[in-house]
Amino acid sequence: MSFKRTGIVLSHEYLLRVKKKSFLITTFVVPILFAALCILPSLLMLNSKEKCQKVAVVDYSGIVMPYFENGSTAEFTDCSSEDPAVLKDELASRGFDVLLIVSQIDSAKSVSLQTYSKKPTGIDFNDGLRNRANKAVEAYRIGCYGIAGLDQIMKDVKANVKLNEFTLDESGNAQVSESGIYMVISMVLGMAIYMFIALFGAMVMSSVIEEKSSRVVEVLVSSVKATELMFGKIIGIALVALTQFLLWIILTVVLLAAAGAIFGFGGDLASTAQMADMAKGMGGVDVAAMAQNSEMSVIFTTLAHVPWGTLIISFFIYFVLGYLLYASMYAAVGSAVENEADSQQLQLPITIPLMIGFFMVMFAFKNPDSPAVFWGSMIPFTSPIVMLARIPYGVPAWELVLSIALLFGTFLVLAWASAKIYKAGILMFGKKSNWGDLFRWLKQK
Amino acid sequence: MAIIECRDICKSFGEKVALDHVSVDIPEGGIFGLLGPNGAGKTTLIRIINRITIPNSGEVLFRGKPITQKDVERIGYMPEERGLYRKMKVGEQAMYLAQLKGMSAGAARAALKEWFVRFGIEDWWGKKVEELSKGMAQKLQFITTVVHKPSLMILDEPFSGFDPVNADIIRKEILRLKEEGATIILSTHNMESVEELCDEIALINKSKLVITGAVDSIRREYGNNNIEIEYTDADGRHTEVISRDKAGNEVLKTFIDKGVTINSYKELMPRMNDIFIKLVTGEEAGEK
Repeated sequence: MSFKRTGIVLSHEYLLRVKKKSFLITTFVVPILFAALCILPSLLMLNSKEKCQKVAVVDYSGIVMPYFENGSTAEFTDCSSEDPAVLKDELASRGFDVLLIVSQIDSAKSVSLQTYSKKPTGIDFNDGLRNRANKAVEAYRIGCYGIAGLDQIMKDVKANVKLNEFTLDESGNAQVSESGIYMVISMVLGMAIYMFIALFGAMVMSSVIEEKSSRVVEVLVSSVKATELMFGKIIGIALVALTQFLLWIILTVVLLAAAGAIFGFGGDLASTAQMADMAKGMGGVDVAAMAQNSEMSVIFTTLAHVPWGTLIISFFIYFVLGYLLYASMYAAVGSAVENEADSQQLQLPITIPLMIGFFMVMFAFKNPDSPAVFWGSMIPFTSPIVMLARIPYGVPAWELVLSIALLFGTFLVLAWASAKIYKAGILMFGKKSNWGDLFRWLKQK
Repeated sequence: MAIIECRDICKSFGEKVALDHVSVDIPEGGIFGLLGPNGAGKTTLIRIINRITIPNSGEVLFRGKPITQKDVERIGYMPEERGLYRKMKVGEQAMYLAQLKGMSAGAARAALKEWFVRFGIEDWWGKKVEELSKGMAQKLQFITTVVHKPSLMILDEPFSGFDPVNADIIRKEILRLKEEGATIILSTHNMESVEELCDEIALINKSKLVITGAVDSIRREYGNNNIEIEYTDADGRHTEVISRDKAGNEVLKTFIDKGVTINSYKELMPRMNDIFIKLVTGEEAGEK
């Protein structure tokens, strides 16, 4: 293999993609979109005032109405003395949106609710009504027992146990932690690596198919060897992926630093209260209660103690190796077909292990040390995905080394086999190839 | 001296034999026609010369030494199935292909600009290939084949897809490159262009070499030595074809003795087309 020619192919494939508009868009817009996607729902939830529903209440039970409090989403008017049939007709003209009829207390010591409105009232609104009616009925039933002070007893009995989780580090120091955070990181990493391997692997395949179907491949292989072309392409696209990741990391760090400068969170516990104040001042929203609750601070300490360096390094190692493994298979499959539609069947042996890895992540982020997950993180085809989901929880060094060695060894074997298939495949035209053909090419001298 | 010597080349794909002990010498300089019906094995032989395909046995020598990947940089190849990246810009694409043939970026750019000017297509540089017509794309393909000044050019059906005007431009370019000392292997079905352009040919049929040699001597060999004489006598103009079992002078003498006026005398050379059909179908008949 000539490095000079491979280098020309490599830099061509790299520059071709990096100069594309779509690359710039995904690199710079995606993180911003992603950030917006994270922030937007909470902003919407905090800021958007639902339209206030005006409710006319006809309460036959006589116990529920006091539990309806006027709030930002609903305003209640007691119309118990009026005829519901008349109210129904005059609903709009009297400025009401909803007519609520509470039945009399029945034999089961309960009530039922009926609403009438022009437009459906919405799940949240209905839940609110039911919750309040439930409270009224519960209080009524408690009252029926006639035990003095039962109301207070019930309040005292109500339990809300807190779980404080600590992990021990090597020196035995207890560290506040939160399993939920590890779960989220584990799942996000597993899915991200699955997505990127599939995405960039498929990019190799469609590029091979493009060269074959446009017949430019015959001109190319009269200048470079097929293996040089294949590996130049695979490595070129790998560099595209790494460039993208690097830019994403830089962009994230910059965004975080900017956010840190603006909002002033340094992950420091002492600053949580301050942060809450600031948030309050900013959005006029009451998050102070949330921040006082120590959960927020636990999240921040946990985040601060996640081994980010190890995670990022392992992500790169497993992405590169996993990508190389799958990309060479994708290249072999691409060489056998002349359009992407024909590749579906040949792709199965690639997509199935990828999917298995993906589903194992769903399991691994809950049970990172179960035997199935252990084997999943050793077997080369699923290991890049599954191991990454395990890493946030901590994996013994020997397991990492073994898993990486197995992955690398498998890549070497598959790269050799793929190159043989590729060499024969790219010059086969006209006939639709199947697995038998691929094996024949593999054995061909 | 031969620029390419193919020595006893065999190649099979599974059960199918593509080339069966084929030996061909392609002399340096001049135009060499590689002929044969579809599926005869021409493309496989071309791919073996290009080192795209490795033969099962036999070897290819480039100027007397086993051909290496470095020598392949001295070859320009235009496959029958033309291919360019459709989405790429014309200039970028030409630059890429030229650099793959070992040219530096600077040299490639200069040489390409020169060719673009020669073909009057300077303003195509920034266009995408998919915007070009078929004929325009063919021109670009031709340029990318010859831009690195190869010593050997392999052109597979170079005239297909061109209108007569552009085909003539390409024909002239081929002759000009020959004048400059290049060797050209022309694989074609167009027998008229073989007669007009080729110095030597090789005919392959059913994986075997059928005949190779200079075009003139092959045509003579396959001629039935007929002579066409046109003369005028009292009744007017006549044309007579006679078999040349006597020397030309004797034949002429008999006509002169008749007292007629001889207008023309010419040796009847068989068309390459007829030789091709005779050799290809004759073999088939022979095997049955």
